[in-house]
Amino acid sequence: MIQLNKNYSPPERLAEFIPIKIVSVGGAGLNALDRIVLDGLERADVVAINTDVNSLTSSVATRKVQLGRSVSRGLGAGGDPDVGYQAALESAEEIRETLADASVIFICAGLGGGTGSGAAPYIAQAAREAGALVIGFATLPFGFEGKRRNVQAREALARLSEFAHAVVCFENDRLGDLSPPQAGIHQAFAIADITISQSVRSIVNLIQQPGLIRIGFDDLLAALQTRNSRCLFGYGESDSDNRAHEALTQALKNPLMDRGRMLADATHVLVQVAGGPGMTLSEVEILMQELGRHVSDQTQILFGAVVDARLGDRLSVTVISSLSAEDEAVLMQTPPAPTSTSTVSPAREQYEAAAPEPEIQREEPTVEVRPLEETLPFEEPIAAEAAPQATPISIEPPVIPTRNGEREHAMSSQQEKSAPRNEEKRPAEKSVTPPKQEVLQFEPVTRGRFEKSEPTIIEGEDLDVPTYLRKHIKVK
Amino acid sequence: MVGLEIGTSKICVVVGESRPDGTLKILGVGQAPSRGVRKGEIVDFETAMKCVHEAVVDAEQKSDVMIKSVYVAIAGSHLQSFNNRGCVMVPEDREEIDEQDVADVKINAREVSIPAQNAFLHSIIQHYQVDGQQGVLNPAGMFGQKLEADFHIIHGVRTRIQNAIRCVKELPLDVDDVVFSGLASAQVVLTQQEKDLGALVIDIGGGTTDYVLYSEGAVRQSGCLAVGGDHITNDISMGLRIPMARAEKLKIEEGSCVLGNCFPGETILLKDDSGFAGKEIERETLNTIIHLRLREAFELLKRRLEEEPYLGYLGAGIFITGGCSLLSGIDHLASEIFEIPANLTHAQAAWGVTSAVENPQFSTAIGLVKFAQVMHTDRPARGFGRIIGRIFSGKR
Repeated sequence: MIQLNKNYSPPERLAEFIPIKIVSVGGAGLNALDRIVLDGLERADVVAINTDVNSLTSSVATRKVQLGRSVSRGLGAGGDPDVGYQAALESAEEIRETLADASVIFICAGLGGGTGSGAAPYIAQAAREAGALVIGFATLPFGFEGKRRNVQAREALARLSEFAHAVVCFENDRLGDLSPPQAGIHQAFAIADITISQSVRSIVNLIQQPGLIRIGFDDLLAALQTRNSRCLFGYGESDSDNRAHEALTQALKNPLMDRGRMLADATHVLVQVAGGPGMTLSEVEILMQELGRHVSDQTQILFGAVVDARLGDRLSVTVISSLSAEDEAVLMQTPPAPTSTSTVSPAREQYEAAAPEPEIQREEPTVEVRPLEETLPFEEPIAAEAAPQATPISIEPPVIPTRNGEREHAMSSQQEKSAPRNEEKRPAEKSVTPPKQEVLQFEPVTRGRFEKSEPTIIEGEDLDVPTYLRKHIKVK
Repeated sequence: MVGLEIGTSKICVVVGESRPDGTLKILGVGQAPSRGVRKGEIVDFETAMKCVHEAVVDAEQKSDVMIKSVYVAIAGSHLQSFNNRGCVMVPEDREEIDEQDVADVKINAREVSIPAQNAFLHSIIQHYQVDGQQGVLNPAGMFGQKLEADFHIIHGVRTRIQNAIRCVKELPLDVDDVVFSGLASAQVVLTQQEKDLGALVIDIGGGTTDYVLYSEGAVRQSGCLAVGGDHITNDISMGLRIPMARAEKLKIEEGSCVLGNCFPGETILLKDDSGFAGKEIERETLNTIIHLRLREAFELLKRRLEEEPYLGYLGAGIFITGGCSLLSGIDHLASEIFEIPANLTHAQAAWGVTSAVENPQFSTAIGLVKFAQVMHTDRPARGFGRIIGRIFSGKR
């Protein structure tokens, strides 16, 4: 064993300071900004931008920019994005000044109205031109706010997405998901602000904090690379006994993450686990294992870990990913994952259906199989060879339960299907080795408690034999 | 009125009485663990008799009533059902349909060939049609020439039904009537409104799964599948290589049929009685075994029900009762497979021993008492047809 010096502590890594600016545009954006500052933000500057002077005055930001002194004259944009845009154009110089000297710029805006929808895309463009990584946080209006507002919001979102590297989108309609139904409306809105603030802060922390396993600015860029992408974000925190699992569950439940569904299609996923000094390797392992179940094999997982004494007993997980707009559109049309895997190998299913029949040692099923082989004399050696080939396949790791229903159907209709299947397989099998000897299955067919009672045979299957045995599903 | 259910996991006797306002009051419930019964049918006569005797004695003590005759519930995979139509022409001189015609049409409906070894268990009226007019509920007294009626007929192997009756008679107890256990459960689990809307009752007991489907107030499909809680226990016992008793306990205490609900790697520690370190098993494995078996059973049931078009028209949904309905997550699994909302339920509208009434394991036996109540009161237009004579004649 390697003896560690008692006074060993990991060497302090000097973090390169990456300048971050958080820019809020419009009324909703300013509310979110106040929340962010309230929750405590270090190492980042905040800028408040609006047409309405009153809200600017009451904002807690240190740096404020008033848009469109002559266009809107200190009043709001009146819900008209064009006014917002004109106002932004007018104050273009000021905007550019504030956006200078930043490597990462977050733009928070509530879309649908005037300033947010009109000015935010322009500011994003300016930020992009200034050479920074631009991440947008946008909220979309409620459905009940009317079609016009929603259409304006969608248009603004599209324009924002053009200029920003990534946009995290939050629909107000999802507020219902976040807060208990009995909660007061102000609490519901507060929770929306909190979600945005959490997401902003965690990304800031991710970039700025030196971690045990470091995720940097470069990883963030990789994760959010695609243009026009929609960002998935999840944050969870827990301090209970089962904190690793709970934190991840919370993160995946986050409405911005869409319940972890779209995660399976993301190409890059960024995960940062932060905890106090009591965080153990096994907790991290559990967490990553569970996360691994939600993403596909193709996904690149960028993992970072931070030990932050200030977190104490809490363990927090941040999951960030992105979906490009094309992927998202494709996703809307394709059916969810499990059924797509089951369409992958219909051919296998038919053969797996053929293999178990001889094992059950009942007269009827085996009789079914034989005439089939005899009626296709040419394919007999191939069929015999295909059957043993199927048996190794059938001892695969657990098959998703949803497939079993289909397999049952396969068994009952195997008569019709096996014949054409044989012919299809023929060209492939021809070049393969000469017929092998059939592998005899040594699985004892027991019925346990039902040994001495009359078997229940339905649709050719003895239901007394345990289901998992008949379907060849591995249980330890 | 006493109902006796000879089940695979338990034998239970429910004593009830009919109140003047028409509700049912449960006076006492006696039960005894069942041995000698597999898949709802008696395989060991002597042992089963002893267990029934025990249960009856227990019921007598609890309800303070001398039990002389019982209604017996019948289950078993041999029970089959089908719908048939009977037709009777009213003689020319009469115009009105009378009670005799109604009885005749029932006999006519029963003239269907069933296997020689089978006997009719139930002929349940669904609807009458008078001269083509559909949906008549009570044709007696109506004018008409032609009376037709749709019946739902349940039949089963005569000797197996007689076995159950004989077991009770040797106790000695009189058998008032025999009822299909699924039907009995449905009487007490569904309200008339639910029957009218359309509902499916699935009673998953120890040995069998009984189902009855109501549509527009009448029984359309029914049957018995010989897969039950015992099969689940057997699967667990074989899958995890633990003895049956342990498997049963594990199923009851920790079993769930919902997959993916546990913390990865979560294990259950089975403590060994002898003091040795127990065995550790993964919760997900246990749940998988249970899930697979139940999924298969439900899918089988669904395929059977899909032979007729009623499954798509269930207004009230699916009601799951019986011992296995206590498995966590079974209603979600059923909802998922049938794509119809499923609810867990127990006997409704019965008063008395609350713990018994609310226990889904007793719904069949309580249903028997309810059936008895219905038989005692004036038979409503939707009565149940019976031919006890045919079955008993063989015995006497």
